[in-house]
Amino acid sequence: MLNYAASRIVQTVIVLLVISFIAFLLVANIGDPLAALLSADATVNERLELIAKLGLDQPLWTRFLHFIGNMLHGDFGFSYRTQDPVANLIAERLPATVELAFVSLLITIVVGVPAGIYCGVNPNSLFGRFIMLISTAGITLPNFVVGILLIAVFSVQLGLLPSFGRGTVVDLGFWKTGLLSVSGWRAILLPAATLSTFQVAFIIRMLRTQLMEVGQSEHIRFARARGLSEARIWYVYAIKNTLLPVITMLGLQLGNIIAFSVVTENVFAWPGLGSLFLQSIQGADIPVIAIYLIFVGLVFMVINLIVELLYPLIDARVLRRQS
Amino acid sequence: MINAPAPLLDVRDLTVTINRDGKLVTALDKVSFFVNPGEVLGIVGESGAGKSITGAAIIDLLVPPLKRTGGTITLAGTRLDQLSPKAMRSVRGGRIGFVFQDPMTSLNPVITIGQQLCDTIQAHLKLGGNQTKKRALDWLDRVGLPNPDVQFKRYPHQLSGGMRQRVVIALALCADPALVIADEPTTALDVSVQAHILELLRDLHRESNVSMMLITHDLGVIAKMADRVAVLYAGRVAEISPVGELFNAPKHPYTRGLIRATPMPSATGEMRLDQIPGAMPGLGAVPPGCAFNPRCFRAEGDCRATIPPLYHEESSAFSCFHPLERVTA
Amino acid sequence: MTPVVNTPAAGPVRRSRGAKLLRAMRRAPGPTLCAIVIIALLIYAFVVPLFSLNPFEFSGMSVLDSFIPPAWMADGSPDFPLGTDDQGRNLITAMAYGMRTSIIVGFLSVTIGLVLGGSLGLIAGFVGGKVDAFIMRVADVQLAYPALLLAMIIDGAARAVLGTERSVGTAIAIVVMSIGIAFWVQYARTIRSSVMIERDQDYVSAARITGRSNLSIIVLHILPNVMAPVLVIATINLGIAIITEATLSFLGIGIPVTSPSLGTLIRNGNNFLQSGEWWISVWPCLILVLFVVSVNILGDHLRDVYNPRLRGRS
Repeated sequence: MLNYAASRIVQTVIVLLVISFIAFLLVANIGDPLAALLSADATVNERLELIAKLGLDQPLWTRFLHFIGNMLHGDFGFSYRTQDPVANLIAERLPATVELAFVSLLITIVVGVPAGIYCGVNPNSLFGRFIMLISTAGITLPNFVVGILLIAVFSVQLGLLPSFGRGTVVDLGFWKTGLLSVSGWRAILLPAATLSTFQVAFIIRMLRTQLMEVGQSEHIRFARARGLSEARIWYVYAIKNTLLPVITMLGLQLGNIIAFSVVTENVFAWPGLGSLFLQSIQGADIPVIAIYLIFVGLVFMVINLIVELLYPLIDARVLRRQS
Repeated sequence: MINAPAPLLDVRDLTVTINRDGKLVTALDKVSFFVNPGEVLGIVGESGAGKSITGAAIIDLLVPPLKRTGGTITLAGTRLDQLSPKAMRSVRGGRIGFVFQDPMTSLNPVITIGQQLCDTIQAHLKLGGNQTKKRALDWLDRVGLPNPDVQFKRYPHQLSGGMRQRVVIALALCADPALVIADEPTTALDVSVQAHILELLRDLHRESNVSMMLITHDLGVIAKMADRVAVLYAGRVAEISPVGELFNAPKHPYTRGLIRATPMPSATGEMRLDQIPGAMPGLGAVPPGCAFNPRCFRAEGDCRATIPPLYHEESSAFSCFHPLERVTA
Repeated sequence: MTPVVNTPAAGPVRRSRGAKLLRAMRRAPGPTLCAIVIIALLIYAFVVPLFSLNPFEFSGMSVLDSFIPPAWMADGSPDFPLGTDDQGRNLITAMAYGMRTSIIVGFLSVTIGLVLGGSLGLIAGFVGGKVDAFIMRVADVQLAYPALLLAMIIDGAARAVLGTERSVGTAIAIVVMSIGIAFWVQYARTIRSSVMIERDQDYVSAARITGRSNLSIIVLHILPNVMAPVLVIATINLGIAIITEATLSFLGIGIPVTSPSLGTLIRNGNNFLQSGEWWISVWPCLILVLFVVSVNILGDHLRDVYNPRLRGRS
């Protein structure tokens, strides 16, 4: 097990290095940092100084090692667009995105999991079919369309919820949170619902398929033959068998969820990382794009790695397969 | 049947149909038999004869589109076919234990053996946590698993096939049922393990005097285990006889064909192996009259026209217009 | 022990193609309806522009007609059944133009992804060894990034190289390329695995023994065998490609407003959503959803029919 974990961690680090290298190549080859950072009337000396300071006169590999070293020290370079350190930009935007992701995950668990279980246990019921219809829509509807429709109904027609911004934000010093005020919660509902549409629909379908499959397995039939209650059979014996595939699939969908957060943040003018990324694309702000690329890769890889390493807690059979 | 004690399980005219695209096809056709207290009834037949369907129908565990459509099932005076789903649940595992065929698939892979045992015990017996665990450990010991304390915490994948089948047997018996239905309990196992499992079943049967319905296609298993035998053919009972009579003087031509098609030394010590010509009709393709008539060397006009009823003799019953004489056996 | 099910073997009945199609349609009314919707929308998108002036080139003409609601509403006009936008464009005409762009971009990007992924998959599967390992590792890394995000990044990189100002043609080319590149992995994986199965078949060995070149073996023997699953994936990806394009355009990093797609129409309409002119954004939303959902249902159906093994993967 330890060997397995070690080799998976090494693999992840290698992949992250590859991603970093690609990101570094973007920064090194695309766009002109000198033009971006120097004023138009800069002297030749200033120019040479900056070249030396940025290490542009060094060979590619040295510069890559520098790039990695700087990142490990929290130095992510400067934005071409705003001249600010990328690290500051990200730190400023991170809380908004994390809170959005958190609330949408909450909605997924509170809405998606029970609905999925219901559909898996009662696949042919009228209500179950109705949920499936909705979830089919949820999985095909483009994210921005969901956002627009929610705004049209809840903000414009009913005037219940705000359609942009984070509401009142409380500064905790290290973290600016919108979750400590009523207006903050009101503001996060629509974007979080928009972002969670895909996950909710996805988890409903996954749970349903998995439960229906497990429900037909021989061991569930044997559990019935032993007179266990239906509740115990479905909610303990069957569910435990579906956890692994469902969590794995959800982990692999994380990338999609990050992408959708860009769209959702745009629709609701949510001041998070996604908005930052979009502004950077519109402004061809390569350093920010590059760091975002690495950041997304890191989050995706690390979360999937954690999920994988936690498997044995759910299903001990994995241990044997791993070793 | 006249002098026999009241049977523990009495099945009469059990009929099961399968709904195939709106068309009802008969899978079990008026199957009747009984199991006496403490007795082992073997149920034998080829694949597709309806053996497993019979077992599943008794505890109402048929997989749709199979459905029980007729007949009565009485267990010690209680009509099982009229029970509510909730009452049926307490019969399953509580009054009737069921041993599944394949131990590789019939144990829940993500729940420990101990937990599966305790859940089953608690579903039927009002026991406290400690007593439940004690009973579970005791059963692990009784089915011959070494170190019950260790096995209790293990998952099915950590055990061999034979050990798993022992666990399956413990699960079927742990709530003290009056009847055990064992559906091909050794078929999925290695030949070397089969004998051990049969021995275990026989020992447990002797210790607890539980009645048993042993479903198998293997006449060798029948010869070793059963007191009486019911032979099924194409969803109908062909013959029910005490085991000695069945092997020595079969009444139904199919029974004799089945015995002769089994590699077994005859009285003179030589091996005989004769095959019955043709194959058993599939579902929905049963010919009119006796289901066996196209393959039967004794078939006559009446066999092709009417389904023979079950004729009762002293200790046996058969469904044939032209039964074999004792001498022909 | 399950009862043996003897299905009576159906004799080889000859049916004409038409009769076969009719039977298939009757058996799957949902997908049939979707196919009809797709054909109707295609006709709409490609025929309406033939009979109307491009409202995005002559927009100044009808400013007086701006913000007219759909015909059945209080201020509606029968001339504009679905209403007009801020520039007074008839939404029916505008959406036909927008949809035409969306569909063309979708088709082109699926084609790019198919050609790119197809050739890489063929090479990986046929050559094997280090080449295969390299291509598949690249694919693995790319899988961490969803198509949408990747398309955004490629678009951003293209902007940095070519500058933020660009012509309509360049913009469309960039969108097509970035969606196409974002999609290659799936084709490459499918084709690679099919090739790996096919390449060890006797008929391929036979072709090799008779001295055929690798290229001719691929083109003549392997390609025809892997086309069915690939075309099914392409159908499903067409829906995703159209959504991706619409999303990029909606975010303002796709097709420029001067040559609108469904995405830009929605982006434009979104500006007026707050002030109550819902129809400018909602109609394009609905038509987009209608088209994409139809394509998806049809694609899923084709997948189930052609290749049950693919079921459950997406």
